[in-house]
Amino acid sequence: MKSEIVKTLLTRILSSLLTLFLLVSFLFIIIRLSPGDPTDKYISAKLGSELSERIAEKFSLNQPVTDQYLSFVANAFSGDMGVSYNYRLPVFEVIWEYFSFTLVFASISFILQMYLSIWLALWVIKKRKKWLDKFVTNSSLFIYSIPAFVLGVALIYIFSVNLNLFPISGMKSLDYDDLSFFSQVLNKIHHLVLPLITLTAAGVALFYKYIKESMDDVLNQTFIINLRSSGVNENIILRKHVIPNALRPLISVAGVELGILLGGALITEVIFSLPGMGRLTVDSIFSRDYPLVIGCVFTAGAVMILANFLADIIKLKIDKRLVKGILN
Amino acid sequence: MKSGLKIIHWIYFLWFLIASLRFQLAGDYLSLIVSYCGLLVTDLPSAITMLSGSLIDAFLSMIIFLLTIPLTIIFKKRLQFLYSKLNFSFAFLILLVSVFLFAPIISNENPEFSKNLSVTKLLPPFSSVKQFELKSDIDNNLSDAEYFRKESEEVIKPSFNDNIILADSFRLSDKVIYYQKNEAYEIEKESLISQTGVPVIEAKFYLLGTDEFGRDLFARLIHGTRISITVGLGAVVLSFIIGIILGFIAGYRGGLLDVLLNRFTEIFLAFPVIYLIVLILALFGSSLLSVIVVLGISGWMSLFKIVKSEVLSIKQKDFFSTAELVGLSKIQLLSREILPVIIAPVLVNMVFLFSNVVLAEAALSYLGLGTGSSYPSWGSMISSGQEYITKAWWLIAFPGLGLILTLYTFNSSGRMLGKVLNPRLKK
Repeated sequence: MKSEIVKTLLTRILSSLLTLFLLVSFLFIIIRLSPGDPTDKYISAKLGSELSERIAEKFSLNQPVTDQYLSFVANAFSGDMGVSYNYRLPVFEVIWEYFSFTLVFASISFILQMYLSIWLALWVIKKRKKWLDKFVTNSSLFIYSIPAFVLGVALIYIFSVNLNLFPISGMKSLDYDDLSFFSQVLNKIHHLVLPLITLTAAGVALFYKYIKESMDDVLNQTFIINLRSSGVNENIILRKHVIPNALRPLISVAGVELGILLGGALITEVIFSLPGMGRLTVDSIFSRDYPLVIGCVFTAGAVMILANFLADIIKLKIDKRLVKGILN
Repeated sequence: MKSGLKIIHWIYFLWFLIASLRFQLAGDYLSLIVSYCGLLVTDLPSAITMLSGSLIDAFLSMIIFLLTIPLTIIFKKRLQFLYSKLNFSFAFLILLVSVFLFAPIISNENPEFSKNLSVTKLLPPFSSVKQFELKSDIDNNLSDAEYFRKESEEVIKPSFNDNIILADSFRLSDKVIYYQKNEAYEIEKESLISQTGVPVIEAKFYLLGTDEFGRDLFARLIHGTRISITVGLGAVVLSFIIGIILGFIAGYRGGLLDVLLNRFTEIFLAFPVIYLIVLILALFGSSLLSVIVVLGISGWMSLFKIVKSEVLSIKQKDFFSTAELVGLSKIQLLSREILPVIIAPVLVNMVFLFSNVVLAEAALSYLGLGTGSSYPSWGSMISSGQEYITKAWWLIAFPGLGLILTLYTFNSSGRMLGKVLNPRLKK
């Protein structure tokens, strides 16, 4: 059993690396196919062919495409994505600064989504009202249908513009540096309430659908009936037996959901002008800072691959029967 | 029978609503069609050069509009689903389809028309301004073609018309005095278009208000609907083609190709798609076509998976081997033997895909990477409305509502379709 798990893990790591490698190759192909080349930013055609050749040499554009490709892949894997045009810093450093925000922001939202959806499903099941079930299912579908930017803008309109409860945008107030540590934290939380609602709402609705369906499935199984007839407390049945069994399908969705979360974070960061990687991507596109754009896209892909890998490991930890299934 | 309301009643209701509200406009379109036919006979070359996109659009939607009711009556037997019970999703779906088809009849206002900013800027819903038109130089000996052009411009409004003046209010004395934001201007009566000596002054009504450039929000919303649906349909069809073909190849051939395609799908699935779309659009530029292509390319993975797994199981079945032995070509195998079997899950998937694509298009437009500024799109309307959020709630509310209802309709009808087409899921 143990050697089988190790083998599974190794194969899984190899396939993740292969996916990462394909991603880098794919990025390279897209960049080479796109019109224009990186020297356009530095020289105009009027400056003479000799100069442009020298610059092309600096960019290694005169080397064969295969060599360019190999050095691109090698650089990408060693974390060297070039230098950002705007920040005049290595791309990796810039991204790291912004990425840490997105990581914290998305993680909080992810935990909230999980917690709220499970809590909601439990609440609905405990109430045992058919109309309530139907109502929550329908309204979760409705909430799921609200695009993040519509919800975000609506929240800004209601809570920031009309009620003046929360700030419209940004991460800290102007007087942030003068505040004590405690009120600095409060200030940040105050700024993050609306963005978190925006990012979390759709995810709760999506998770609710999956968790409710799988809880219903588990509740219909014989061992639950057995537990009930043995007089076990309903709360204990739900908490100890239903939730762990119902979580399994949720974890496989969670990997895919992370992609939605990163995409949602991109939009949310733009709406509320938060200093995250999504907004960095969009900003760098508009300022034509291509090394940074490519670095951001690569990071996003790498994070997704890593997250899917982790989700598989967690699944394996929960359910040893899955050793074979993960490889597919 | 609990409720007598059926889908067909809703269609008739919408049809009569449009017909009664836009009776005059429909008549204008009809006479335009007639005079265009006349022009085709008398002056064929200029008739063909005059044929613009908006003209074809208007003619087509007028013809479809006229044919709607007869067609539903003639094909009553075929269109049995029109006699099923009406619910909210179907009602909104039909509303969307009719907006898509009949946009020129619902609003002939040009979505880009902008004039007299001081008067029309950021008007709330249900407001109206006064409109009068300067006489243009009348040339009595116009050729047929020029006469037709003039006539068509009166019905299908161009995005720019110098002769129209919009004002808050006016006063008639020996001259016409009109007010634009407390500034009074004078104009000779004779220079205005008039009927029996009295200048024609109309009230221009803005149902949903105007945006920051004084453009009619209702017209923009109607045309934005068309953009969203066009992008959605185009991308879904593209995804369908890619997914079906790749899935068929991977399932039918197998081998190395299958492994490679699987890895490829893995990358696409393991990717926050919006980052990829944003990258491609940024590198290759964004236009209506490139948005459709990129969204189509980024959505085929789930279809691929469905088709591949179904093909793998169909391949073992007797009827399929028979068809192979009879000597059907690959395309025939795909279209006659496989598609009918897998159409149910594929259809459900396409409905969900459509809502995803509409959402993605709106999100891209919101980020400023959408179909470009030449078309009004829901997402770009919301993004420009966000700047005026303190002054003009309607700029966000209406496109946002349209988007939410569209997505909800497609999500819930996809769910319903899944239940109907997949009886195994029912308990």
